[in-house]
Amino acid sequence: MQTVGSEPVYEVFARRVDGEPLRHIGCVAAPDDALARVYARSIYDEESWIEMYVVPRHAVIPVESVRTQAVDAHA
Amino acid sequence: MSAPLLDRPSALPREAVPPLVDLVVALADNKHALGLRYGEWCTCGPTIEAGVAATAMAQDELGHARVLYGLLEELPGAPHRSEHEWAAEDARTVALVQQSFPSWPHLIVANVLLDQALGCVLETALESRYLPLRQRARKLIEEEQFHAIHGAGWLRQLGAEGPGVRAGLESIVGEAWADTLCWFGPASGGALAPLVQIGVLKEAGDAVRQRFLTLVGPILRGAGLAAPLRCDGDRWVLTETLPWSQWNESPRRVRHA
Repeated sequence: MQTVGSEPVYEVFARRVDGEPLRHIGCVAAPDDALARVYARSIYDEESWIEMYVVPRHAVIPVESVRTQAVDAHA
Repeated sequence: MSAPLLDRPSALPREAVPPLVDLVVALADNKHALGLRYGEWCTCGPTIEAGVAATAMAQDELGHARVLYGLLEELPGAPHRSEHEWAAEDARTVALVQQSFPSWPHLIVANVLLDQALGCVLETALESRYLPLRQRARKLIEEEQFHAIHGAGWLRQLGAEGPGVRAGLESIVGEAWADTLCWFGPASGGALAPLVQIGVLKEAGDAVRQRFLTLVGPILRGAGLAAPLRCDGDRWVLTETLPWSQWNESPRRVRHA
């Protein structure tokens, strides 16, 4: 699913320390990139991240998935 | 050579203390009230994300008020404030935050206008000669950046909802306009001018108002809202005079009829 209600979903990634892999920590629904940043910062602030990123879910390109149609759509 | 830092209240010139107290009380009281009003929307925002963001901004504002109240404890003649009180009886707040926000657009207008206005005033203390104020201002300003993004983003979203919503927003902006624009003080800063002269603040009055208009003008225009200002080259200028005869400088608010 790319949207919740009418709002796009953004995946949230962060890392705690230098050298640690960037890891997926959750997602937010937001109408645009700016509000996605605000929401990610307010929802996932339980740790002292040194970096945090939001990525529109539609921008994540599937490589392999049990849901083959997701991969086929990008083939 | 720059003037030496003033590292404690006793280092301040005596005449600088009353206007500094008035400014810090008004800053802190408005931030405290804004925090309470934001917090009232933590479980009833239009989306869960919006509610959580309102809660985070409430935490920020209440934290800022606590920090500024701490500054007051060191200043002679400052009124008593406790972070444990919901609101002081003599709280120096603008009309917009004296009652609960009746709608989400009210919260967003407060976020865009009042929140940013207080931030603009705090920015004038980033290089303050008065060290206790300077040390506190930087952390507060960092957190305010996300409040600004939130306000601008939501105003743009609401403005796109249609003419009915825009008319409602314009009405709320109209209610808050004079209080917000007067907050920076008269042209040369009024009571804040002595604080500028001794370097406690970088600027006041028109200089800060101009910086605020440069921030807010494009946001209002981008949301399709009419407001009493126009773009004149790279400057945004007011198209109506402000009600200075109703401005009360000590509590920093306009007397409403």
